[in-house]
Amino acid sequence: MQTIDVELDARGLNCPLPILRARKSLNRLEAGQVLKVISTDPGSVKDFIAFCKQTGNVLLDTVEQNNEFLFLIKKPAN
Amino acid sequence: MAKRLKAPERRASILAVAKVLFADNGYHGVSIDEIAKRLGVSPAVLYQHFDSKEELYEATLDEIACQRENYAEAVLSGADDFGGVLERIAQVYVNSVARDPDYLKMEMHSVLDGAKATQQFFDSRWKSFSDFIEVSMKELVAEGKVSQVNPLFASLMFQGMIREILYAKCIYRSARYKNIPLIELVNQQVQLFLNAIEYKDN
Repeated sequence: MQTIDVELDARGLNCPLPILRARKSLNRLEAGQVLKVISTDPGSVKDFIAFCKQTGNVLLDTVEQNNEFLFLIKKPAN
Repeated sequence: MAKRLKAPERRASILAVAKVLFADNGYHGVSIDEIAKRLGVSPAVLYQHFDSKEELYEATLDEIACQRENYAEAVLSGADDFGGVLERIAQVYVNSVARDPDYLKMEMHSVLDGAKATQQFFDSRWKSFSDFIEVSMKELVAEGKVSQVNPLFASLMFQGMIREILYAKCIYRSARYKNIPLIELVNQQVQLFLNAIEYKDN
């Protein structure tokens, strides 16, 4: 079971707010810690793939359940 | 003779031609025969994919209404400050509409026709602006970084400004603004908006 260090509720919000909030949350985390983001926007799947690619964070998992999208993002070592 | 296409390709080609014709002439100004003629096929081919003109129109609207902008790269390319992010997402949006003004025409037709896709147009495109401005401004008001303006009204004002720029530059191509590049108009309007809400970025 993956340990979650911080959870971000972005339900009901469209891009760019979820990725801005995610960047802010990750900046406060230590290397190796994990952020969980919950979104209801179907476009967030593409957004968080682009987000991790651009920021160097690691997208550990993406889960869709009950019309919600969960993203587990790990802050890298450097 | 028209090239024989596979079903998904044919459907996509019908939607692409229908979009152009519906955008310029509206639902009532276009016939199935006209779309078929433009495609170089018989009307029967269109009816293999869509039961009626109404179904084709709704499918055309739905496809366009569900298209979303990709803001991630633009948002992450600079600082998180409200003014900077707003300017960058506005630039992405207007550039996208400038490349395909039919999108905006179809949005207008959808609203006028009371089509079901109207809500989807809002959710896919304008909601990014209303969410970002309304949520950010609530925080900025609390921090004293903007004046005591109702975020709902401010958001509506901003969207109205962007729509008007797009209408003037991309739909009726007003001679009044023809010498001003689209992005310059947008940047100036963003600045006017930030001044109006008395935004202080530090």
